[in-house]
Amino acid sequence: MTDTKNHSTAGVTGSPEGRVFQPGSFNELAEAVELAFDYRGDVTVSLKSGESISGYLFNRQVSGPDSYLEVFPSDSAETRRIRYDQIATIAFTGADTATGKSWETWVSKKDSERQIEVERVAAEARTRGIL
Amino acid sequence: MGVPISQMATVTKYVLSQKLSGVKRYPLVLMLEPLFRCNLACAGCGKIQYPDHVLDKRLTVEQCLAAAEECGAPIVSIPGGEPMIHPEMPAIVRGLVAQERYIYLCTNAILMERKLDEYQPSKFLTFSVHMDGLKDEHDLAVCRDGVYDVAVKAIKAALKRGHRVTTNTTLFDDANPERVRKFFDAMMDLGVEGMMISPGYSYQKAPDQQHFLKRERTRELFSRILGSPKKAWQFNQSPLFLDFLMGRREYECTPWGNPTYNVFGWQKPCYLLQEGYAKTFRELMESTEWDHYGTGRNEKCADCMVHCGYEPSAVEDTFGTLSGFGRTVKLTMLPTSR
Repeated sequence: MTDTKNHSTAGVTGSPEGRVFQPGSFNELAEAVELAFDYRGDVTVSLKSGESISGYLFNRQVSGPDSYLEVFPSDSAETRRIRYDQIATIAFTGADTATGKSWETWVSKKDSERQIEVERVAAEARTRGIL
Repeated sequence: MGVPISQMATVTKYVLSQKLSGVKRYPLVLMLEPLFRCNLACAGCGKIQYPDHVLDKRLTVEQCLAAAEECGAPIVSIPGGEPMIHPEMPAIVRGLVAQERYIYLCTNAILMERKLDEYQPSKFLTFSVHMDGLKDEHDLAVCRDGVYDVAVKAIKAALKRGHRVTTNTTLFDDANPERVRKFFDAMMDLGVEGMMISPGYSYQKAPDQQHFLKRERTRELFSRILGSPKKAWQFNQSPLFLDFLMGRREYECTPWGNPTYNVFGWQKPCYLLQEGYAKTFRELMESTEWDHYGTGRNEKCADCMVHCGYEPSAVEDTFGTLSGFGRTVKLTMLPTSR
């Protein structure tokens, strides 16, 4: 598989955020899809037809030539089902929402920094009317 | 008694009817997640790490009620996200009450007092308030000061209006048994109907990865907490599940016992693992490879002793074995005999 950062999925440690995978075989494609399924950010799936779909990959079904994945597009309420054989590349384009918030980081911050972060999260929640 | 007799009778009738019908796998509690958006970002939570456009998605009233009908479980637990953010939550609750399902509306209580007028007290509705300990422990767990006091105030307001209120508590390996016991005293003094406790699950996506409990440590911790229970303590869960947490009974996981429905569909295989989604409840039950899950079968299940997998096993023990039935009766009537 070709990865713009020259890594295969098997070698991916940490977040794949920012990477682009161009699978060379079905197995490589299946690996890339698994990585995207486990990713807590948006991906961009580029099709062989030239179309691109950006959104959250929430499901996949691997069964030979009938394999497909399902995406919640970021700009649509309807889910989109894409067959594996239509896919050219998978890019991890959205921010990984499950990184950068480690407990250790939180605890190691100074009280003042934590307070600022708490206020920022609270302000965002207030803006949404949920606090 | 932590669970009202009418609720116990409903569950008993349901389980016995499943057994008499020869149903091998049946759901006990539907975990209905109508949204993932929350107004907290707790350190041990792996449920809310999604892009904004996913956090903004909501199940509709119709989807929620159809899922409950399709699943058929007598109990519906509504976690999230924070369900009270959902603008149609009162309508969802009314619909589930009309279906005569026992509902546990799981909330951090930040919005609860403000929204209490939108809910009618009912024997079918319980506010299950997230409380992870006394003030210091709880505010640390939810990463925000003052939340404990807000929750206590909301609990008092709900009780005053005649609502059923329980607490739900997740414990991690830094829990202090003496402080937890004091916390139980404080909750019972508040007047809650009962408490629910569980060890945390090692969510791969949770920010805090170092405080999840291993099985031996879980047994040791819960033995110290529950070893000599006080008469006043009431638990809104199976006494055999508490035995399991203390290492006094061994169970296999029952992942189909608490099926989960959310904006992605029916989650395979359980509330905690996300291995894929089914379009229908029947598809979930028929297409999930259940034998691949549980302690000793799957590394993701290795340390899990969480209520959603093992409380259904405890209920199965109650209705499936004489020793289980006898011990359930004994501990229900004489909880301090543990």
